[in-house]
Amino acid sequence: MKKYTVLVACGAGIATSTVVCERVENLLKDNGINAEVVQCKIAEVASRQEGADLIVSTTILPTTYSIPALSATSYITGIGMEALDQKIIDALNKTLAN
Amino acid sequence: MTLQPFLKEELLKLNSVCKDQADIFEMVYKEAFGKGYVSENFLTKIKEREASFPTGLKIGDYSVAIPHTDPEHVFEQFISVVTLQKPVSFYLMDDNTKKVDVRIVLLLGLNQPHTQLTVLQELMQIIQDQQKIEQLLHAENQRDVQAIFTRVEKISTKGEK
Repeated sequence: MKKYTVLVACGAGIATSTVVCERVENLLKDNGINAEVVQCKIAEVASRQEGADLIVSTTILPTTYSIPALSATSYITGIGMEALDQKIIDALNKTLAN
Repeated sequence: MTLQPFLKEELLKLNSVCKDQADIFEMVYKEAFGKGYVSENFLTKIKEREASFPTGLKIGDYSVAIPHTDPEHVFEQFISVVTLQKPVSFYLMDDNTKKVDVRIVLLLGLNQPHTQLTVLQELMQIIQDQQKIEQLLHAENQRDVQAIFTRVEKISTKGEK
């Protein structure tokens, strides 16, 4: 089974990404997806995207990346959390299909 | 009760009059630097961070901003609660072309990623609760704020009991 790497990023890599990390870790575990969730600063994403499968970010993405990227502010505001759960799962499944 | 130690009396600025973001940051910085909680660079850094990665969150009737910056500028952790008599505009966290009028600013002084997860989850619980946000807006003293933060239960994330 493929092991995914998901980058969870926020501006400082300290506040909002912490909450998002927990949510994503639990989501993937509950869905039987084998993945490592890595918390980082948005500025580190460009150099870390190689070997990673998905970026989940609470900030504006300053650039476009070679792997899919999703905005995760839903997890902070509580609005549209389930829809975002599904998007994350779909994005990883799509990676597998390719 | 996890949030209690983070709520320092001198960093609760209720019913403040601030004309803009810089005003808010300067007010909090003055207290925090005076107490030795943050480095001298904190003010510049938090302004820079907010400019490139804004933290406005549009939630229901009241929007909130949660400015924060890199861990190396924070010596002692805190959550500064600023309520404003008149709203100050912040750019949205996920869209820096849109602004929101904010009356509550939760300025985070954090330096321990992951370890204080509970704290952040409780904070999100408050942000997501319209009633708590309203209570916070009407809070008049430290006791009111403490009470709002005390009655917070852990946010429900998937896989948790």
